[in-house]
Amino acid sequence: MKQNNKMKEILTSNQMIIVYIIVALSCAIGMKNPAFADFSTIITLSRALLVTLIFAICEMVVIISGGIDVSFPAVACAALYIPVVVMKEHDMNSALLAFVMAAGIGLIVGIINGFLIAVLKLPPLIATLGVSSIVSGMVLTFFGTNEISRMPKAIKGLGEVFLFTYTNKNDITYSMTVFIIVPIVLCIAVHLILKYTMLGRGIYAIGGDKNAARIAGFNVVRLQFIVYIFSGVFAGIAGMIYCILCSSANPLNLMGSEMMVIAAVVIGGTRITGGHGGVIGTVLGVVLIALIQNNLIMLGVPAYWQTFVVGAVIIVGTAITSLKAKAIANSPKV
Amino acid sequence: MKKRVLSVLLGVAMVSSLVVGCGSSSSDSSSDDAAAEETEESGDGYKIIVVPKMTNLAWFERMEYGVDQVKDAYAEKGITVEYGGSAEGDGQAEYVEGLIGQGYDAICVVPFDVEALDPILKKAQDEGIKVICHEASTVENMDYDVEAFDTREYGAHLMEKLAELTGGEGEYIQTVGALTSVSHVEEAEGGKTYADENCPGLKMATDLIISDDNADTAYSKVKEALTANPNINAIQCAAMSETPGAARAVKELGLSGKVHIAGTSLVSVCGEYVEDGTVELMSFWDPALAGQAMIELAIATLDGTAAEDIALTTPGYEELTLDGKVFTGSAWIDVDASNVNDEAYDF
Repeated sequence: MKQNNKMKEILTSNQMIIVYIIVALSCAIGMKNPAFADFSTIITLSRALLVTLIFAICEMVVIISGGIDVSFPAVACAALYIPVVVMKEHDMNSALLAFVMAAGIGLIVGIINGFLIAVLKLPPLIATLGVSSIVSGMVLTFFGTNEISRMPKAIKGLGEVFLFTYTNKNDITYSMTVFIIVPIVLCIAVHLILKYTMLGRGIYAIGGDKNAARIAGFNVVRLQFIVYIFSGVFAGIAGMIYCILCSSANPLNLMGSEMMVIAAVVIGGTRITGGHGGVIGTVLGVVLIALIQNNLIMLGVPAYWQTFVVGAVIIVGTAITSLKAKAIANSPKV
Repeated sequence: MKKRVLSVLLGVAMVSSLVVGCGSSSSDSSSDDAAAEETEESGDGYKIIVVPKMTNLAWFERMEYGVDQVKDAYAEKGITVEYGGSAEGDGQAEYVEGLIGQGYDAICVVPFDVEALDPILKKAQDEGIKVICHEASTVENMDYDVEAFDTREYGAHLMEKLAELTGGEGEYIQTVGALTSVSHVEEAEGGKTYADENCPGLKMATDLIISDDNADTAYSKVKEALTANPNINAIQCAAMSETPGAARAVKELGLSGKVHIAGTSLVSVCGEYVEDGTVELMSFWDPALAGQAMIELAIATLDGTAAEDIALTTPGYEELTLDGKVFTGSAWIDVDASNVNDEAYDF
């Protein structure tokens, strides 16, 4: 009986509902266009969701801790643009240096966010919104607005390093970028940290109730700093990866991506109020959104409707999550 | 600060004394006479300013470069040419308002927000200032607008190349920055009309693809379209960032040579793909030349010689067609592997 209940719980969990939607959608796309039912789809999808997934993991950790970070697109833009500009100006050519600079920029912004939120107790939305504007404004003012397409060789070369390639029956070659390793490692690491370490438990605790967490002995300020610094650093790295994959540095392209990322996190079952959520749900949320964004042409959805469909899926996905949460809240407590 | 105030005051004093000295009757052009004084023999003495949409965009930095290039030549003729504007576009209306009463004879402007700017341009015209626009055929209060080319014709021009490359057989896709971007959509329509009329074998594969002016989005969507439909063999791109995005998709999928690309871009953005042959035709218009054409047209308007059969000396604007108040040239510049390394196009 107990086992049955557990089985039922798993089958009706948020994550499984997202899985059902993903499977149903995939079937629909596959039926409409057989080109979808091919190994190439996995490669294309991995490439399309790679950067979003890193952003989403960062955002998820912040949201679990009871905060929100809308500065990551600006951080990513700064972290991809400034290193490229500096390296071009000084004729430097090192991919490692590019990543160190990108992570460094993320670190600095993360510290500022942490200070504003943990020490000055500013509301996270306002603090990160302000920081976002400052960072973006500084980049445009001091480093220019030109899209840079002639990238340093070392950076450009990395964009053409592939794990493997696959050729489909139409003789089209699909290549899996080596950068897919980054989100995979990040997901596993964050999952383990959240589930099995005191640090992870602390992040859930402060997201649930800061005061209770403090009384329980968690250092709230330190935890908040860690969360925003983590988010900043990986947003920076994700920005650099984005830039390498595009083989161009544009200081504005990623701006505005925050809403889709937050939507993916929330669809994945992370509660916007903090204290709940997990890596698996977030991965599913990102996959779902990427699936929709990247296959509406295959489905033959007219251009005008594509934005509408994306919005509709976000609403439905989030509604399911919050209805479930409500049901749990109303269910009899033991 | 004090120094600046002082120098401005001094300048004003000098100018006003000149006005008195010359006994000029014109009410709107105090410094006009100052310019005239420099080259008494020409008697032109126009003072013209070029105002871009915003100054902190590479596109308009190029326009500034164009204005700077002709500045000295005009100064010799006694015509003062200046360039200035607000860094971000939303301050443009205030900027232009501030110009009124400073003695400009003509304002050449690339409007950022037509609705905000139009009433101010009316004010300027009421003061006797001539108004020349660019990329803004819908402005009401202007003397003339000059366009680099007709967007539909330009779209047809790109499609003509694609038709030639594909032998007029196959399927094509078109990308635009946004469905609200009028010039992009017109460009795509121009291309489609050309294909429909001239190449019965060349069909549109899917609806317009929207890139949000983002190279990465263009890359993903073009890749998806190519996967979904292997018959696609031609891509027409409207926005500057789309052409390299589409090129990367084609190259990565190993379809270079099979799928042909013609689109708008700049050498600095897309040059490498033109060099390696993935992009077979890249076109653009040169904002530097557009700036110069505006100045030329402003002078012609002040001289009263602007009319239907006017010919400017700026390349691409030698032959203009006039429709209402809008002059249209054919100032697109084609770049392919043969001339991509030409320094003149390197911007």
